[in-house]
Amino acid sequence: MADYERQNQGQGHRGHTVVFLANAKFFLDDDDVDRRSQRRRYEEPLSNKLRKQLLAIAESATRKAEDHASGIAKTVTENYEDEDLRDTFLTLIIQLVTEQPFKIPFLAAVVLVINTQKPELAAEALKKAAEALQGYLNVGAWREVKLILRFLGCLQRLFEGEGIFPILDELFLRAVDLQTSSSEDSLGLELVKIILFTIPYIMTSSATENEFQASALLEKTDIIASTPHALVALVDPFVTDEGKPEFIQSVVSLLQTQLQEEASKGWELVCIPRPWKIPREDENDGADPLDSMTKHPFPEVMIPNPVKPGPKAILPEIYLSVYAGQEIETVPPPTSVTSLLLRDALIDTINILDFNRVATAKFLIDIDCYFTPDTFVKRATPFDKLREIPSDRSTWKPEDVAVDAVFSQLFQLPAPEHKLIYYHSVLTECCKVAPAAIAPSLGRAIRFLYRSVKELDLDLCHRFLDWFSHHLSNFGFTWKWTEWIEDLELPVTHPKMSFITGALDKEIRLSFAQRIKGTLPDPYQALILEGKEKDTPDFKYASDSTPYAKEGREIMQLIRKKASDEEIQPVITAIEEQARMLGDPDPIVQSTDAFVTSICYVGAKSLSHVLSCIERNKERLLSVGPFSPPARRQIITSVMEYWADQPGIAINIIDKLLNYTILTPLSVIEWALLDNLATGKILAKTHVYEMISATIGKVTNRMRQIVLARIQPGLYEPQLSVLDETLGREKGDMHTLFKLIEDSIVSVSNSGSDLLFERGNGAGNQEEDELIRHWGHRWLRVFRRKAAVEEAFIFEAMVNATPLGTVAPIVPQSAEPTNGHVDVSDDDIADIS
Amino acid sequence: MQRDQNTVDRLDKPSAYYLSKNKRRSRVNSDRDDGDKVDDTVDTLKNATTLYVGNLSFYTTEEQIHELFAKCGEIKRLVMGLDRYNKTPCGFCFVEYYTHQDALDCLKYIGGTKLDERIIRTDLDPGFQEGRQYGRGKSGGQVRDEYRDEYDPGRGGYGRAIAEQRKKEEEEYGRGR
Repeated sequence: MADYERQNQGQGHRGHTVVFLANAKFFLDDDDVDRRSQRRRYEEPLSNKLRKQLLAIAESATRKAEDHASGIAKTVTENYEDEDLRDTFLTLIIQLVTEQPFKIPFLAAVVLVINTQKPELAAEALKKAAEALQGYLNVGAWREVKLILRFLGCLQRLFEGEGIFPILDELFLRAVDLQTSSSEDSLGLELVKIILFTIPYIMTSSATENEFQASALLEKTDIIASTPHALVALVDPFVTDEGKPEFIQSVVSLLQTQLQEEASKGWELVCIPRPWKIPREDENDGADPLDSMTKHPFPEVMIPNPVKPGPKAILPEIYLSVYAGQEIETVPPPTSVTSLLLRDALIDTINILDFNRVATAKFLIDIDCYFTPDTFVKRATPFDKLREIPSDRSTWKPEDVAVDAVFSQLFQLPAPEHKLIYYHSVLTECCKVAPAAIAPSLGRAIRFLYRSVKELDLDLCHRFLDWFSHHLSNFGFTWKWTEWIEDLELPVTHPKMSFITGALDKEIRLSFAQRIKGTLPDPYQALILEGKEKDTPDFKYASDSTPYAKEGREIMQLIRKKASDEEIQPVITAIEEQARMLGDPDPIVQSTDAFVTSICYVGAKSLSHVLSCIERNKERLLSVGPFSPPARRQIITSVMEYWADQPGIAINIIDKLLNYTILTPLSVIEWALLDNLATGKILAKTHVYEMISATIGKVTNRMRQIVLARIQPGLYEPQLSVLDETLGREKGDMHTLFKLIEDSIVSVSNSGSDLLFERGNGAGNQEEDELIRHWGHRWLRVFRRKAAVEEAFIFEAMVNATPLGTVAPIVPQSAEPTNGHVDVSDDDIADIS
Repeated sequence: MQRDQNTVDRLDKPSAYYLSKNKRRSRVNSDRDDGDKVDDTVDTLKNATTLYVGNLSFYTTEEQIHELFAKCGEIKRLVMGLDRYNKTPCGFCFVEYYTHQDALDCLKYIGGTKLDERIIRTDLDPGFQEGRQYGRGKSGGQVRDEYRDEYDPGRGGYGRAIAEQRKKEEEEYGRGR
């Protein structure tokens, strides 16, 4: 924290110096002097002031948002003739709706107040909102559609007749169409979700007599929202039923239940703010100006038929809380509608503002400014102090609610909207802004996740691992390791042990062994093997007891001297001849080992050293694979063995070898899941999972790029056929990979297999057998999901692809060439074929 | 939805340093149509995939940098900044990604966070060119390490010019100064 500030100051200072020098150079320039004096007299235009005022709405915990809103309304209505000001206002208010969703009720309040004074300006705001809504509907930007509908819902009182309800009804009809056409439809569910999330804001708007319509709508959505969705199981963050928190159901169905409950209680919706009360000069003046204000027709908006799916694939969401099952509730339970109302606003805020994590963190910390004051306990109330809170008061901690929402995104399956590291950075930033409040909340989240590590989806386990180590690296690697000491007794294949060793390895990768050792209590010291502290691991051929030691050393010297391939060849031949004499069926395996181990040793200094060694010896390495698949896998073995104690470096090298096409994705999978399955124990190694996922990631990435190239508009024969053929071939290769993973792991996850018998040695370590089977299940689940997701991606993308055989229309003038944004032959795509 | 101006600042814009550096140049080189020049420099960064990374410790390794920066996307190339004379790391590097988006994400998610327990700085860069891997300071390192009067153990102690002066003073006046 402290050095962060210092850093900023440093930069600011430097920036200032630069400006000063630039001015000094032109010191005698009249213009420059003029400009300076102008600056002194400079008065901010009113539109700038208004902009700042509007941007800051509801941000202050001390200033009443109602007053703030009427202040803004006053400025705009009094200066209605100022076109610049009016434009600023109208543009900014809609932009705020879609960028800072927390503020929507307060922005609606501004418009309501304006309407009592200048109805034509309110009408213009509605027109702006409708235009934006139309635009978002046209492209299928569903989050933005939801937010603008929320804004309009808050303004329900301003409308004539039924106001917003007809458009929700129409949206519902589209959802029905989608649902009847496919049982796996998610877009229809998304529309229902939008409708449901709009209702609470209508019901808390100052409008009255909406109960009937709301209930009618709720009744209709029930059948869609409550039907279990076919894909929910796919995105469930937990593997087994044991230890799973009680409420794993899709967000839509949960919300439906919550709203029905809320309807029966007369729509209390306690958490939503209602800043509609207009402060009046005379408190005794009875009539609320909102009662007599001008009403407007609901703006005209066309919902496309059929609706547009939008750029992102939609899968059902699940409500996950890392604060489930605590002795005192620190977040609203899933039975309360508050849980989803807060979560929804939080998730949107987080995902919209990915371009400024500092702003995101500030919103999260200030969440209590944007909801009814009694929703939360005071900020930074320690968990233990919650016991003293009277039972009729809220015990929900604003920090927990905020952090919970970030985790829900970090653990979103199959993937969240942004890169995982964005969510890491938000948590880091929150900790910087309010360390005393956030750190304990993170601690409880970590404990929950660690406890659930066995049941957590394997992919999520890795996200946890990755976040945990990265987070600690930002805060001096301090963690209360003492509380997990007992678990060090567990077998190495236990998920908790796997987590601990994996986390320590990742910490070391971001730092160095000696440093991490210093942060660990004694019982952990043994986990940091001596080899981790060695910059250059030993060269096995240095010992004469290693077969082919002399040749190995020779090769190493030659590589070090940057000798040519011709100079190396005789030594390679010497190894192979000896191996052949010893009856080795694959002598090239031995020579490859010596060659690759030497490259690793000579290049041990850094990644770029080993890369230039590989680059220099590329031809020989490339020729190994096609000649002998076992030798290709020996390349992996040699790298993994040389860097056995620092597997992070090993898998990094493997990754580069894939890019060079020295290795193939298939060889990596075969190496791990056929050659080294070791009766399944390898599945507990976090770096192996990392390597396999990265490899599969390369393949699916490439696949997606080809799909995108195939479906780009304006593509004609013969390119269509060429791309289609490539696509077919790559798809086949991808299936082969997934099938290999499936087949080899099924043998592990199926109980009573021969593998388990082999390992048993008669001793029958049942606990370990059970663990290994469990690993098998978790691996299978991850890769089956990945396969399904890719399949769905290709299927959906290809729906609108230009059919094969389409030829270019004859255009009279020179037509724009199809400027492929995606060009598969581009060297931007790491070639991994 | 990319807009001209967001309701909060974007972290994925070129830094004030980069812009002012180019502004300065343009002021020296040409007449005062600064606005256009800034646009030009922004333009050269439109598809930039490279980042300048600063405030690293001299001891931070390629592997550590890789480990962190790969979280924003696959790294195409990593060039360590070296002391012009000793060819040892001198506290900066260039990271090149395959896509512009990865580079922008890196500005947003990694710039200003810690690596090897130091807050690092990232800036969009038009692309690495041979020669730029070397420090431009008088004694071979980065300019900022020449006159720094704060002690920074991760970056060779005091600034070199300052250290030099101290050493000289010590020699002249004897140890117990």
